[in-house]
Amino acid sequence: MRLYQLAILVTMPGPIRSVTPQQTATLRAVVDTIVPADEYPSGTEAGVLDYLDGQFGGDLAGSRACYGAGLDAVDAEAGETYGTRFDLLDPVQREALLRALESGDTRTPWPFDAAVFVSTVVGHVMEGFYGDPGNGGNRDAVSWRMIGFEVGE
Amino acid sequence: MMRVDAVVIGSGAGGGVAAAVLAQAGKQVLVLERGRDLTFEQIGRDHLRNHRIARYAHRSGPDYEDSPRVIVDEAGNEQQVRAHEPGFHGNATLVGGGTRLYGAQAWRFLPADFAMAGTYGVPAGSSLADWPVGYDDLAPSYERAEWEIGVCGDHTASRRHWTRAKPYPMPPLPEGLQARALRRGADALGWDVLPVPMLINSVPYAGRAACTRCRHCVGFACPAEAKNGSHNTVLRRALATGRTRLLAEAVAERVTCDSAGRVTGVRWVDRSGARHVVEAEVVVCAAGAIETARLLQNSPTRREPQGLGNNHDQVGRHLQGHAYAWALGEMDEDVHDGLGPGVSLATLGFAHHNEGVVGGAMLADEFIPLPIAFWAWNLPPDVPRWGAGNKRYMRENYRRVMRVGGPVQEIPSPHARTRLDRHVRDRWGIPVARLSGTTHPETLRTAAYIAGRAREWLLASGARRAWTAEVPLRLYAGQHQSGTCRMGDDERTSVVDRWGRVHGHDNLYVVDASVHVTNGAVNPVLTVMALAYRAAERLCADW
Repeated sequence: MRLYQLAILVTMPGPIRSVTPQQTATLRAVVDTIVPADEYPSGTEAGVLDYLDGQFGGDLAGSRACYGAGLDAVDAEAGETYGTRFDLLDPVQREALLRALESGDTRTPWPFDAAVFVSTVVGHVMEGFYGDPGNGGNRDAVSWRMIGFEVGE
Repeated sequence: MMRVDAVVIGSGAGGGVAAAVLAQAGKQVLVLERGRDLTFEQIGRDHLRNHRIARYAHRSGPDYEDSPRVIVDEAGNEQQVRAHEPGFHGNATLVGGGTRLYGAQAWRFLPADFAMAGTYGVPAGSSLADWPVGYDDLAPSYERAEWEIGVCGDHTASRRHWTRAKPYPMPPLPEGLQARALRRGADALGWDVLPVPMLINSVPYAGRAACTRCRHCVGFACPAEAKNGSHNTVLRRALATGRTRLLAEAVAERVTCDSAGRVTGVRWVDRSGARHVVEAEVVVCAAGAIETARLLQNSPTRREPQGLGNNHDQVGRHLQGHAYAWALGEMDEDVHDGLGPGVSLATLGFAHHNEGVVGGAMLADEFIPLPIAFWAWNLPPDVPRWGAGNKRYMRENYRRVMRVGGPVQEIPSPHARTRLDRHVRDRWGIPVARLSGTTHPETLRTAAYIAGRAREWLLASGARRAWTAEVPLRLYAGQHQSGTCRMGDDERTSVVDRWGRVHGHDNLYVVDASVHVTNGAVNPVLTVMALAYRAAERLCADW
């Protein structure tokens, strides 16, 4: 239930580098595939990127490089399968690609287990979306109001 | 050098009671608490760092960097784990211990809980045994705990299960939508139910307010101080005598002992790493089943080279807690009404005497789940973990999915144990706990039976579907950790006598769940409190 996967990512060897604009675009697309917009805001609209930014300066500081490498790998998969970047795919293609990676179905070399990367990112995105607003995401407690955690408020 | 009458190690359920009884009897008491003295604001309402769901380092202890543990898994692989990680088997570590944050279910053990071996026989390979005391021995202490710490409950319904002299001091909390649905199911099945007794003020009590029905109960501190724990009852009374000193961030390193076996005091470490020694007439260990065992093991003498009370290799064995068996049901109507704590209605119909299995469990509904915990734990297996379908399910069913579950009384194994690791030390250089072994496989047969009853109850209560999951064979020694200094009359098979005194040491006591021979078919904290009253009263009477 808890993030065994995180420990794997934290200890993964890899060059330290900052997240590039392309990686940010990919991350934005990944987050909104995990929590897409409907009658309620998407993950990024609810502040999940703000949550992740905060965590990259804190609990997840050691995961930042792995995120970069994983996002590059997601982009490479998109290129191999669809001939373009992940953020330029349509929502159906994005979901299909992440589902494939989640089941370990990869077409390009990965620096670590693609399925672990996807499930770890899913966990972090849900923390940002359903966690308390004090953690930087879940803007205005929008997910809590969506599900009815706070009845009558 | 400091000198007191008694040192109490740990300020949780057992330590708080012992400190109060000793101080009220005129003794000078020093309470050493490893954790910090935290305010409500410091504990916070962080949904990612709490003792219900710990995705990152705890805000309410144990501190991230203080002390790892080593866990040896079922395959023999060993791994160092930090305080918030799976496998650590931690308890909240702060002033008040787990009682500051607990769910506060206030169950007395059932009479048959004290006689598991006699009732069912001893499964091969298990260390199942009867307690040297029974329910009737503990009944007066349970009553004292209910009144002095404060329990709400239904006396009439409870009398169907226990001989009770006095009613609870407070009526049960009002029932909500979960209880309404479950009463309907129980009626249909012909099952007996009762309100869950809670260490919570349902009405103002002992100078503190009633529960405000907030949604952040278990895992968090109470904003109204309506949840009754050591910190706002017994510890406060101990301090009010003027004879108790409470030191936070004070880690007991070693119980010191003279060559005749008489305990002389405690060596402890402060936050800076400085060592101190306090001399005492009596030492009372209440650090929890893992840390109490570790402390005794870290206190070897020439007479007892494996640690105090450990010449028969019993300290640290029979480590147990509870394996939780549960089912989740998706109802046709809302059952989440936003009124905490959430847990409300129970049945004790499957705590004992179930066909074909050993023991059983109390079954009850669940505390209000935090949204992130609901996502992590409460979704049906066929719902995708992310994407549009996941979001829709969360939205449509957060208020309709209900969990029913209960603490399965473990069949203890002598191989489930905590020892000292030979290599890993904590930040003060003290050898850390090394956990290994699993519960006995019989526990899982009972768990499967109990999960089936949980599912049956949900379906009878109107669930349109219900699901459960297999309870895995592993160690269960987290918040209900117990068993490592078991109580008994024979020093070859136990660590403390029926009064909690360590065999061979007239002035060394254990008053936490370490002494539990078995851990009950219910939550254990009221039993910890009752046993601490009983032990401390006897200690004062003999002093």
